[in-house]
This record gives sequence, C-alpha cells and structure tokens, in this order.
Amino acid sequence: MTVLRAESVSVSAQVQGVRLRVLQNLDFVLNAGSVLGVVGESGAGKSMIGRAVAGALPDGFVLDAGRLAYASSDMGTMSAAHRRSLLGREIAFIPQEPMAALNPALTIGQQFGGHLARLGMSDRQERATAMLEAVHLRDAGGLLQRYPHQLSGGMCQRVLIAMAFASDPKLVIADEPTTALDVTVQAQVLRLIREMQERVGTAVLFITHDLRLASEICDDVLVLYAGRPVEFGPAARVLAHPSHPYTRALQLSAPVMHGERRALFSLAGQMPGLREFAGLQGCVFAPRCPVVQPDCGSVVPGAVNGVSCLYPDAVDRIVVPQFLPASPASSSEPVLEVSGLHCSFAKPGLFQRNRVVAASDISFRVDAGEFVGLVGESGSGKSTVARLVMGLTLPDSGDIKLSGDLLPASGGASRRMRLGAMQMVFQDPQSALNPRRRVSDIVTQPMRAVGSSEDEMAARVEVLLAQVGLSREIGQRYPAQLSGGQRQRVNIARALCVLPKLLVADEIVSGLDVSVQAQLLDLLLRLRAELGFAMLFISHDLAVVRYLCSRVLVMHRGQIVEQGETEAVFEAPQHDYTRSLLAAMPADI
Amino acid sequence: MRKTGWKLARRVLVSVPILLVVSFLLFAALRLLPVDPAAMSLPPTATLAEIAEKRHAMGLDRSIPAQYGIWLDEALHGRFGTSISLRRDAGALVANALPATIELAVCAMIIASALGLGGGVLLFYLRGTWVEVVGDLGTILLLSVPDFMWALLLLLVFGVLVPVLPFMGRIDPGLSVPRGSGFLLFDALSAGDFAVLRSALRHLALPALALGMAFAPAIMRVLRSSLIDVYHEDYIRQTRLRGVGEVRILLGHALKNAILPTLTLMGVQFGFLFGGTLLIEVIYGTPGIGNLMVDAVRNADLPVIQAVGLSYCVMVLAISMAIDAMVLMLDPRARAI
Amino acid sequence: MRRPAWARSARVLVGAGLLLAVLICAAAAPWLALHDPAEQDLLAVLQPPSGFAGGSPDYWLGTDSLGRDVWARLVYGARTAVLVAVFSATGAALLGTMLAHAAGYFGGAVDWVISRAVDVWMSFPPVVLSLILMVGLGGGIDKVVLAIILVDWTRFCRVLRSDVVLTARRDYVTAARLAGYSHFQTVLREVLPASLPLIITLISLEMGIAVVVEAILSFVGLGVGATLPAWGQMISDARQNVATSQIGLLLPMAAIFVTVAGFNLLGDGLRRTLDVRATAGRMA
Repeated sequence: MTVLRAESVSVSAQVQGVRLRVLQNLDFVLNAGSVLGVVGESGAGKSMIGRAVAGALPDGFVLDAGRLAYASSDMGTMSAAHRRSLLGREIAFIPQEPMAALNPALTIGQQFGGHLARLGMSDRQERATAMLEAVHLRDAGGLLQRYPHQLSGGMCQRVLIAMAFASDPKLVIADEPTTALDVTVQAQVLRLIREMQERVGTAVLFITHDLRLASEICDDVLVLYAGRPVEFGPAARVLAHPSHPYTRALQLSAPVMHGERRALFSLAGQMPGLREFAGLQGCVFAPRCPVVQPDCGSVVPGAVNGVSCLYPDAVDRIVVPQFLPASPASSSEPVLEVSGLHCSFAKPGLFQRNRVVAASDISFRVDAGEFVGLVGESGSGKSTVARLVMGLTLPDSGDIKLSGDLLPASGGASRRMRLGAMQMVFQDPQSALNPRRRVSDIVTQPMRAVGSSEDEMAARVEVLLAQVGLSREIGQRYPAQLSGGQRQRVNIARALCVLPKLLVADEIVSGLDVSVQAQLLDLLLRLRAELGFAMLFISHDLAVVRYLCSRVLVMHRGQIVEQGETEAVFEAPQHDYTRSLLAAMPADI
Repeated sequence: MRKTGWKLARRVLVSVPILLVVSFLLFAALRLLPVDPAAMSLPPTATLAEIAEKRHAMGLDRSIPAQYGIWLDEALHGRFGTSISLRRDAGALVANALPATIELAVCAMIIASALGLGGGVLLFYLRGTWVEVVGDLGTILLLSVPDFMWALLLLLVFGVLVPVLPFMGRIDPGLSVPRGSGFLLFDALSAGDFAVLRSALRHLALPALALGMAFAPAIMRVLRSSLIDVYHEDYIRQTRLRGVGEVRILLGHALKNAILPTLTLMGVQFGFLFGGTLLIEVIYGTPGIGNLMVDAVRNADLPVIQAVGLSYCVMVLAISMAIDAMVLMLDPRARAI
Repeated sequence: MRRPAWARSARVLVGAGLLLAVLICAAAAPWLALHDPAEQDLLAVLQPPSGFAGGSPDYWLGTDSLGRDVWARLVYGARTAVLVAVFSATGAALLGTMLAHAAGYFGGAVDWVISRAVDVWMSFPPVVLSLILMVGLGGGIDKVVLAIILVDWTRFCRVLRSDVVLTARRDYVTAARLAGYSHFQTVLREVLPASLPLIITLISLEMGIAVVVEAILSFVGLGVGATLPAWGQMISDARQNVATSQIGLLLPMAAIFVTVAGFNLLGDGLRRTLDVRATAGRMA
C-alpha cells in the first residue's frame, strides 16, 4: 500500500520577480513498511519534502505543481484542520537536534503525557512507560519525572522516537535524526528506528546527507541535487552501482574504512544557490559534472529507470585521481612532545569544590610533517587537549616540548615561543572569523599584531589565498558572503600566515558536505607537501582520520586509551573502546 | 527540591554582605556632607565648646569606619539614631511609613504585571496584524511617559478635570483608621470595615495605576520578544508537528519558557518601581517613606536619610529574592546548576 | 549605493526629527524666546496662551505663577535637558563600557568584583540613589550630570557585560590572541566593535532616561538650581496651581515626552537595524 506518493511535485516562491524553485519534478513512491532515504548535500532541498508534508514550508513557498499525496488525500489542497488531525497521529516526525526538540521547561512525563492525551489515551502512565521501555530506555518510570537537560542527546532522541511511534503512525519523517549524535549512539538510534518501524509496518522517510547511513537503513533511495531528483531506486542498486554522475561522485568523495586507501574524488565548485538555479538551463548538475557532454547544458534530462541523466553510461568514465601523496618519510624529528599532561576544572558547587578531570596523563608526540589524528566522542577531552597544546588552558601538571624546547607552564615566554611555531584551525568558521572584518584582514592578523606594513600584508594575502585555492577578490569579502567551504579555507589561511610548524585542527571538516570535505582534505595534503607542516587533527570521523593521518590517538573519558599507526589500530584495535567505535562506523559504500 | 532550598538560602546569605556594603557606602557618603549633625542637634545658641562635646559624645571625632561600627552596632539593636528635625527615632519613623509604601508598590506591581503580561501575550498572539504594528509603536510611546508624569496626568484627568477619584492621602479624613499592621487594605479587611476598605482602595487607585502604567510597557515588550525567541526554538516546531493547536502551544508550551527572561527583567524593573513610589507619594501626599525621604533630604536629616535609604535597599533586595525564587520554581535548569 | 538600514528606518527618522527640533530649540533659545526666562511680570501671572480668553499676544504660551514667560522657559529648559542628556549619557557609557569589557573579557576575579559592585548599585532604586548623591554633591547642572553618571553606569555595565561574555567566547577572539594580539589590542579590535551597536542604542535610551532624571531632581528641588530654567521645575511650580491652570503643567510634560520619545524611537530603531547578530542571521 502506498503511504506517500509524489508526482512531479514542485515547490517554489516568487521573490522579486524571480520564481525560486526548491523542489522540481519530484517523483517517488513510499510504501507501507519500507524506508525511503532522501539523500543530498546541504541546499539540495531535502528537508522541503518533510516541511511540505507538515504544511510548514518557509514563508512564501507553496506546492505549486504536481501532487503530493498521503494515502489518498492531496497534501497540497488539504485543509489545515485536516492536516493537523493527521499530525502526531498518522504522521510523526523525528527531529535533527533531539536536545533542542524537547521543551526544557516541561518534564518528559508532561510532554509525553500531553501527547498521549491528545491521542485520546487514558492509561497514559502505563502507556508512556511501555513505549520508553520499547526504545530500550532503562528506568522508564523515573525518566518521566526528569527534565530534558538531565538526559543525554541519545536518550532525548529515544524519547522522541518513542513519542513518534506511540500512535502507531503510518508515516514517520526523520530529518537527519542522528547527525547531532556520537557515532556509537548513532548506530544504536539507527537500529532502533528500523526496529520500531518494523513493529507495525510504518513507512519512514529518512532524510540524510550521508550516503553511508542511507545504505544502512533504507530500502529505496532518492538522491537530490539542487532541488531536482537525480536518481531514485532500490538502495542496493543505487548505492552499489550509481548510474548518475552525481551519485557516483558523492560515493567516490567519501573516505573509506576498509580495504585499500584510495584517493578521493573531489567535485569542483559547489551546489548553486536558489537564485542561481532559477537561471540554469538543461541539467542542473552539468556545470559541475566531470563527464559533461555538449548537449547537457541545454536539454533537461527526464527520468529513465529513476535516473535523470542523458548519458547514464558515462559514470564509468569518471576517473579517480592517483592516490594521495605518500606520507612523508617519518623523520622522527619531533615538533611536539607532550608528556603526562593533566587538566581538571572546578565544578561549581555549593560549599565543596568538586573537580572534573578533563584530561589525565596525556602523552604523545607529533613528528615534523606528520599528521596525527585524535579521535573520540564528544566529551572525551579532545578539545581540551587542543587547548592545552595551544596554551589556551593551563595544565595542572605535565610538560609540553616544542621542537625539543620545554615550554614554560604559563606566562609571556610560553606565549612568545608558541607564536609563529604553532597555530590553530577552529571548528566552526562562523565563530572563528570576525564577521566585521574582511578576509584580507583576517588572514594577515598575525602580521598586524607585529606591525607589518600594508604592502607586506597585501602581498601575503595574495599568496595565502592562492595557497588555499581562493581567488583574489575573495580578500575583499566579509565572512558572511562566503560559503562554508570557503570560510574554512580562510580559517586555514590565517593559521598558515606565520608558516607554523604545527597546526592544531579541531573538527575542521565536521560540518561540511562530503564533496566539500574531500576538497579540504586534499587541500591539507597538498599544503603539507608544499609547506611541510605537521598537524594534530581532531575528529570524530574515523574514515577521515584514516584518509589523512599516519598515526592516531584514541581518547575516551579524558585519557588516551590507544595510539599507534592508523592502519594498525584500525585493523587490530587493542582497546574495547576503540573496537566499539570501529564497530559503530557505518559500512563503506 | 532540597537543592532549591539551598539555592534560596544561599541567595538570602548573599544579600547580607550586599546590605553591609550598601549601608557602609551610605554612611560614608553622608558623613562627607558639609553638614554637622552635632551642631544641628543642638539649639542655635550652643557654644563651640558645647558642640565639640556633643561631637565627642556622638562619636563624630572618630574615623568613619569606627563611626560606622558604632552605627552598625546600634542599628543591629534596632536603633537608627534620632531624627534631627522630628526628634523621633528614625527606625520608628520608617516603620510607621513603610506599610503605606509597600501597599502602593505591591498594588502597582500587580497592575504592571497584569497589564504587561496580558498585553505581551496579546500583542504576540496578534502578530502579523495591524494591532502588532500599532501596539509596538504604542509601547515605545508609552515608555516615554515616566511614572511621575503618569501620576500628574491621572491626577489632572480623574482628580481635577473629571473629579471621580480622590488624590490626597491614603483615606478619607473623616474615617477612623483601624489599628493594626499599618497595611490599610489588610487592616480594614481583617476588621471587616468595608467603608475604610473602599476609601483606601479609591485612594490607592490613581497612584498605583500611575506607577503600574509606567512599568507595564517594558514588561510587555520583553515578554513579546522572548515569546518571539522561543517560537524560533526546535521544541515549538516539534510540538506543532505533533499536531498541537496554536493556543495550546502558546499557553501550554511557549509561555513557560518565555516567562523566565521576562521575570528576570521584572526583578530589575520592580526595583526601579519601588524607587518610583518616592515621587508618586510626593505627588499624591501618601505618608510613606518617599515623603519621609524628601523631607529628610530638605532638612539634611542624616539619620532618617540613612534609615530610609537602607530600607529602600532591603525592599529592592527582597523583591529580587522573590523573583529569583520564582525563577527557581519555574526553571528546571536553574535548579540544576 | 542604498542608504544603510538604520537610515531607512522610520523610527530612526522620526526619532531623529523630534530630537532635531528639540536641539534647534536648545541652540536657538535666545533668538526664539521673546523674554528672558527669569524675567517676572507680577501683573500678568498665570496667563493662558495667546489666543485664549485673557491671553496676551506678548506671551505665546502664557505665563507661570510668577509671571514668567512659559515659552522662554520651555526653550531654555531644552538647553538644560540637552546638556544633561549628552554629557551624562556619554559619561555613563564610557564608565559602564570600560567596566563591562574588563569584566566580560577577563572574567574571574575582575568579573566578580565588578559584578558585585553592580549588585550593590542595583540594590538602590536609581531615583533614591541619585537623590542621596545630590544631597552629598549639592545642586547644579554639573552635579546632576555627575550624579546620573554615578547612578546609571550600571545600566551599561549590566547589559554590555553579558554581551561581551558571549563575544569573548567566540573563536575569533581566541584566534586574535593566538595571532599575537595583546589583551588590549584584542579587546579594542575584536571585542569592542561587536558591542558598538548595542552601546550606541543604549546611549540613545540613556539620554532619554537622563532627561527624566533631571526632571525628577528638579521636581523635588534638588536639580540644576533655581537660576537655570528646567522642565522639572516648571512642572513642580505649575503643580501648585493645578486646580486653576492646567496648561502650565501640560506644556513642560509635553516637552519631556517629545524629547524622551525621540530618544526612545531613535534607540529602538537603531536596535532593530544595527543589531549585527540579527542582520547576520538574516543573511545566512
């Protein structure tokens, strides 16, 4: 039985005389008991499907063509009251940010109870407890008395999943439900959604940017690019043998966990913005397509067997570049040696001063030109180690040596020795770049601090922008005018300004789309070959670390539980925690 | 729950040093005045020697911290010095006047909260309509009328031009005031004297309304803007996706979160409001600590200024404690930290 | 080139227009007034404005209980109001901004001391505190300005501090330190610019508050002194005759309202259009 069906659905808004289409010619079928994955990078319009079903499109946007049908009723013409009667009963949603999706001022019991009351259930306490037990939460009764902030992200998501499935809905829409969660929790939540879905044969629309996740859970997959469907079909076929160049490119740009390390394919450019795709002719992917043909720019491809490409056979001609530059001969000349670092923070208490240990007995080294990965889940102390190394947090005890020289624990001398020798690349470029400064100002900040002349700085800007692959005119822009990938390049350029020997990079590719991530990873490797710096690369993504780093440190609860050659650690992990991390990684595609 | 109790206790403890610092600053500031309390407490015929002797007796020849020590010791025993102009204990004067001020302030706070919170919710509920545009602009203009101007305007309109309400004192002069706590409304109620109650209410109406009107717009604006912020949160979207209706979302889900920043602001505003009673009392001839203060200031009556100033601080700290207690009750996250 | 958002806001334009009118009155007071504001005409007391029965064409807005020209006192009163507003708001902003940045940027003990000082200050209602200060300082326009600065720096400090804390937490501030900026450079170049829109908005609102406080102090007779005409004084004088002549009470109140509304409209308009965080949010 078909639960949700889209027939050439189009969603658009008229803005200043231009019709902006976030979705166009969308066709898919979602049957009861199956999971349909909607896959695309940010800006592909994948969330719009869920919002169209919820009747919560952004202001001005309407479903202006085609038919989006739930069971037999048209979602486009459905009355608000009718839609509201379906929401929460027959159609339920699982959100992206579980911690933010529960009301902080109400207990879990009040929220769950309110929902069950709306469903007209009388034995609410028992029912809620039963549902919480069904999502494998322990002490379900006690949980109902608690507030969301007392729960972890994974627990919040389980509560929300329990609420979503409480009414035995026909359709559940899950929008990036695991993005905000740690890898190990992510795997559990994924399994849980599948398990709950199978109980009553619910249909699930699973929206994700991650092809690997889609391959884990989905029966069918719909790949979106710039609001257009590029490929639709059974997950096994689409992901194993992509027929569209975009799907293939996505697949090739994700680093792998198993088998031989292969070079990443990096798709040039970026997805066009809403305004740009109003003016595009022909295939929307043509400007970036690695195997584009002359008529792709003028003919709009129709879907044949779910593939919207004029030349589906061309995917085989996509060439993956030669494998990355080999890791430098391990010079075994250490840039950074850390031994016995210990760091704890005072926890505000009433009278007693509890101390929370953020990092204990941290010892490792980074050799010249070497990329060392630091992996672990949120709260494991990865970022604390980065701050300790940079001197932003003072250790309780332990030594840091920079190129063999012991750094004083604190004070101006320690700061001066670090300046110019090590720099940090921050996680969130939004926060790392002052929105009031031009790019050229930002990247030459260290020179301004020592009073270099304007000419010197202008010259340096040009070199730096070229090195990170940005064009000259970007220098005159403000961070808000850049894309996420461009901002992260500026972030890197600033760190490179003083030609440091060591970069400390904290989750610098985590918020980026896979194709942009591939570009940045290759940029880092290329820059190392040019400039020869070493890097402490902090990440939660083991595949990225495997691609980039020759050695890896695994952190868990403030301690390094395992370290060694990346291949060796990932092939034969010694510590239980490393094993559970590896097991939780979604399979390669 | 135990945690909440601790936090409240801690809040009370924190205000003790604040009060000490405040009283010292007050004391020091007033000692720097070019006014000699000894000379003022003696008849104009006193000789310089008599004054010097008096100064010594009053401890005025010692250092300011030492004098403060004496004053503090006295104050802790309930003695705040003798009023220079009224020749009565300053503490007793304040104790007599305080109920009138508190009564006025509490009524004004109730009016301000009712108008502010009600108006804020209404303005938010009508967002996107012309009411919002007009209301938004209206609140800015209302904010531009300070409390004492409200007092004068209301007095002018309802007291002078359309004389429907009295505007002098706390009660009709012909009525006998029931003895008791000094809180007229409370005393009248407990004595069952409805004539007094009615008269007291009528006398309170204009001053309380004036003060309430001056502080309602700020509360209204903050509640509205915090509601707007809350509606951007994921949990409101998620609640809507469960099919919950708009009115229920507003009253059952959003308000409880939006009220928190509003309460914090109300704590500050009500501190200002308490100060606002001063001018209102002057304008409406209410025998509260405001009038006491203004008279003391005119007569450079240091013990009274000191005692009244301190009682204002105690009241402001009490208000902010009450607000903190409310926040603790309503915000599970504040309880946790 | 389009005008910046703040210059297109109706609130900013109306607010600035009102203030411009007040400013012109203040600046051109000697030319606008036909009489000396202190000149008493005891034969023509409590006259209504010209055009009303009993009014004289000589006194446009009538006279007060001492026969002084109300119009002259209003425009000279605008001088007092504008002077107090500008100097006290600037002073309070300087003091409050410095302390807020010290507290929010350095945190720790500095923050503790400054925050506790704000707590102590906030436990006084501003009206009461300024009254007590005026007792200590004595009257006069400079004392009024000083009293307002000493009372109202907390308004800046309290609001700005939490803003500075948020800014100081941002990675670009850390990056500036890592790039070799001194603390002073970092605050000046990276933190302060982020607070500027808020500071400008607060200054505008504070000017309105200063006008009110000056009026209150003059109202209770502890203001700029009897020799300078002030709106608060006019209100206080007119209150004695409220039963017979209401216009003398309404005019200075209208003057205060127009000035304060001007500052509030300007401040609110600036808050909406200068708020960089909100603007950035709209751009993203």
